[in-house]
Amino acid sequence: MAFAIGLIFALIIGALLLSISGDPVFDTYQRMWDRSFGTADTLSATFNRAVPLALAGLAVSVAATMGLWNIGAEGQILFGATAATLVGRIGADWPGPVLIVAMLLGAAVGGALWSFGPGLARAEIGVSEIITTLMLNEVALRLIRYLQNGAWKDPEGFGFPQVEARPDQAQLGQIWERAHLGVIIALVVIAAFAWFLNRSVWGYELKIAGSSPKTATYAGISMRRKTLGVMLLSGAIAGFAGGIELTGTASRLSENISNGFGFAGIIVAALALMRPSGVALVAVAFSAVQVGGLSIQTLGVSPAVSAILQALILFGAIGAAVLSTYQIRLVDRKVAA
Amino acid sequence: MSHPAVELDGIWKRFPGVIANAGASLTVRPGTVHAVLGGNGAGKTTLMNCLAGVYLPDEGTVRIDGEEVRFSSPADALSAGIGMVHQEFRLVPVFTVAENVVLGAAPSVLDMAEINQKVAALADRFGFEAEPTRPIWQLSMGERQRVEILKALWRDAKVLILDEPTAVLTPQEAVELGSVLRQMVSEGRSVIFISHKLDEVTSFCDEATVLRDGKTVASSVAIADVDAGQLAELMVGSVSVQQVAPRDATPGDVVLAVDNLTVVDSRGITAVDDISLSVHSGEIVGIAGVAGNGQRQLTDTIAGLDVAQAGTVTISGTDVTALTTRHRVDAGLAYVPEDRLGVGLAPKLPITHNAVMRGYRTMRRGPMLSWDRARAYATGLIEKFDVKIGRMEAPMASLSGGNLQRLLLGRELSDDPRVLVASQPTRGLDVAGVAAIQNLLLEQRDAGAGVLMVSEDLDELLALADRIVVMSEGRIAGEFDPKQVSRTEIGEAMMGAQ
Repeated sequence: MAFAIGLIFALIIGALLLSISGDPVFDTYQRMWDRSFGTADTLSATFNRAVPLALAGLAVSVAATMGLWNIGAEGQILFGATAATLVGRIGADWPGPVLIVAMLLGAAVGGALWSFGPGLARAEIGVSEIITTLMLNEVALRLIRYLQNGAWKDPEGFGFPQVEARPDQAQLGQIWERAHLGVIIALVVIAAFAWFLNRSVWGYELKIAGSSPKTATYAGISMRRKTLGVMLLSGAIAGFAGGIELTGTASRLSENISNGFGFAGIIVAALALMRPSGVALVAVAFSAVQVGGLSIQTLGVSPAVSAILQALILFGAIGAAVLSTYQIRLVDRKVAA
Repeated sequence: MSHPAVELDGIWKRFPGVIANAGASLTVRPGTVHAVLGGNGAGKTTLMNCLAGVYLPDEGTVRIDGEEVRFSSPADALSAGIGMVHQEFRLVPVFTVAENVVLGAAPSVLDMAEINQKVAALADRFGFEAEPTRPIWQLSMGERQRVEILKALWRDAKVLILDEPTAVLTPQEAVELGSVLRQMVSEGRSVIFISHKLDEVTSFCDEATVLRDGKTVASSVAIADVDAGQLAELMVGSVSVQQVAPRDATPGDVVLAVDNLTVVDSRGITAVDDISLSVHSGEIVGIAGVAGNGQRQLTDTIAGLDVAQAGTVTISGTDVTALTTRHRVDAGLAYVPEDRLGVGLAPKLPITHNAVMRGYRTMRRGPMLSWDRARAYATGLIEKFDVKIGRMEAPMASLSGGNLQRLLLGRELSDDPRVLVASQPTRGLDVAGVAAIQNLLLEQRDAGAGVLMVSEDLDELLALADRIVVMSEGRIAGEFDPKQVSRTEIGEAMMGAQ
């Protein structure tokens, strides 16, 4: 209900904005709808884009269960994809299904490796994981630049700095129109984690640790082990998203493979109120708005207006649903009786 | 014509599960140093935060110079002349003294030379030594506190609130602070001095207001008319809640032994200083003392939440000094911490999560937790200990203080521990809640557990304990048989080795 009201509000304000900027309101909305949900072709593309968003959102929200901020999903996606590429180079002549599984596992291990340092530093000496995970994003990016100019440079790239393409057989199959198998895999992973966090001893301890470190210590839960464990898991999920991107939509490792999904994942997790179970729906909405927002630029809508429109819709619809859990109370500024 | 500088009347402030102020009042005359006394959790800091604009009281009125006000922020209070120095200082470590003093109240064009000079002049007027150009991080805690006071004076505060100002000071610095305060009141300002150290109160202050359980129990008592012992009695209370009729104890073996224990707290202060004590099975040992004399660090260290610098803790013959909380529980320890919501419970999580916090490891099925068993266990606990709840899925903080404590104590007692350490187990509870908790403690003792109980309520200890140990400044100041001791004797021991 709040969702619908928020959406309508956002569309009305957006319409005002569009008429001020001199763009056709109806056509713009029509185009946004067509390119995000309108046809089987565009809807399946929206789903594909939602996969890394949802997994990054899951990674961020798992860490947030314990009050930790993984700002490094971007770097973990990049390094996860790098690790998957390495596996692909080793197993270039393995059969497709085996290679894909190996690459996805490699991606998860790579992501976990990327969050291991920040997790260890946080657990042992209290270094803020916000800073360390953020800085490692840059490192992962530079590593890929190095690889595409050096060791892994594509000999058939006409001198253009790019990494050799991954083996062709390591391509996730299509399931419906353009949607690849990663959509199903992501849904299963998210459902499994939501279930595991709610049902397992580990998840229970995580929630106690998120409540207060003192309470956790009191209950005999090791904050050090939990901190390191949750950071490794969060990194593994983000790295896994990098593996899915590499085997699903991309054909080679590149510095654009993370495409801002790691940062957008923070927004996805926040809009899902840091609940792992909510990230899938939010990610689809987020993906649709992004895809639709990009498409209207071909109508001549300026990128700035498009960005504002995207933000309006996201915060109008999802933000309203979130804020509707609060209530506003008027307090007499003069003296209470 | 002469209105009180500050008049708080009928202040109520409630937090989830706790009533911090229950109709407290306070009247401060201009030109006086006014002590606000009370044990931890008596509501002193909350009351001051209501005056300084940090909290908005739920009910009640605040008057400054006879005029009713309603502060919605500390800045509001400051512009009305109310300054507060909090227990944790709010200074920028890399800024200089002068920069911190003028921060937020500086002229729009900064002439640092002029500001440095003005800050130095201000310090001089109140007899401080302050070098305006030194950065904060180089200063001792006492010097930092002076910067905080200067901050309030720079804004020309008419009323200065100091929250436990001497906790971080050496005795020498505390004396210096006293003379600064006298200088301030001689200019017609007022100082509100929050403390539970009675000797300082009697030496610096003109009047005292005593809080207990969020209420004012003595208002504007002239210090000249009372002695420290009487103030201590007001703080710990004389209204007895004698509803339990304990049988004589039949002590058995030593189940908890603390030997030469020393604990240094996070501020570097020796909170527990070479304490040795033992608790036998089937007895209640009560720890008496004014709050803040190391009781919390003692119980936290026994439970494994704090680290001992020296000495040992032995539970049922096992030396647990180097073991984690979990191994101490396995050795037979149960702990009811003083801070129930911050340590003993997870307030935002559902009741079931809280109920199984001690026993969840026995409810596992592989890596999964059997929530059927967890719920059955929680329901059993709730029935057995008569906890009144709404829904099981409701957050823990939705329970009242008494019900929170019943669930917490019930959970800790559910596996018949050999040692129970209970810190302020009845504080903040209503009469029925107090009686229920006291009865549980006695039942536990009669069943053969050794109980170590910390309380600020002397009457409670006199009624329940088989032995009373008095703590003062981290040391044991005496051990008494509750049947043969007078309140005055214990009160004197609480005042320490003077």
